[in-house]
Amino acid sequence: MEPLTVDGNLESLSAIAKYVIAAANAAGLDKKATYRLRLAIDEIATNIIVHGYTESDLSGSVKIEAQISSDRLRLILQDSAIPFDPTGKADPECLELPLEERAIGGLGVFLAKDGIDHFEYEFVAGCNRNILTVNLTVNLTVNLTVNLTENLS
Amino acid sequence: MAFKVTSEILDDVAKLSLVGELDGSSAQIFKEAIEELPTAGLKRLVLLMKDLEYMASAGLRVLIFAKQKMTHVDLYIVGAQEMVLDTIEKTGFHHSVILQDEYVD
Repeated sequence: MEPLTVDGNLESLSAIAKYVIAAANAAGLDKKATYRLRLAIDEIATNIIVHGYTESDLSGSVKIEAQISSDRLRLILQDSAIPFDPTGKADPECLELPLEERAIGGLGVFLAKDGIDHFEYEFVAGCNRNILTVNLTVNLTVNLTVNLTENLS
Repeated sequence: MAFKVTSEILDDVAKLSLVGELDGSSAQIFKEAIEELPTAGLKRLVLLMKDLEYMASAGLRVLIFAKQKMTHVDLYIVGAQEMVLDTIEKTGFHHSVILQDEYVD
């Protein structure tokens, strides 16, 4: 699939979602896996836009690229906002705490990681690259060769 | 689908119907609807979610905001779709809200 580049603002989340859903459909993901993947990308993209760009007084774009192979779907989100590695972020503490005592943030990265099979981050040539991978169902083809040897006594 | 919220207040119960998709771009609409609710005299906040197709953590943050603004109010989540419910449960929010398939006055 051709990559998509959008402006780094919240209005772009809809276009990013459409791209992810199209990639998931092309890869044959079921409805639930598609939802989880869309949510994962949405969470990372929202963090890029809000924390990477807006709150850092920066502006820029977000590029998303889907790579579909026989055994996996990879989605790469690339931006030129402040460097941020989500893989180092610990899961939110105390998911059992009542809402009145919960911190407002921390759930986005948790939901992103929870919804996919593998999450990588790299910082290359001034760009953050978030790489989200979903494993596809492996279709196994078994070739069975039977040799029948008759021993004639 | 664009996000929409409609509010109805009767006696000490406020009902908000959420429709569409709730993400970082639409969470502010939801938050504003919560902010407009009268805090005094309210006993229940009922969120009708049967037409909410999608909810990101931005939506969860508004739930935290609602609970922190109205500590004495019971928060009901009614008719949440399967994957929205999945998000609510895996983040532990189901401990602090009353989940129902249908709301009866």
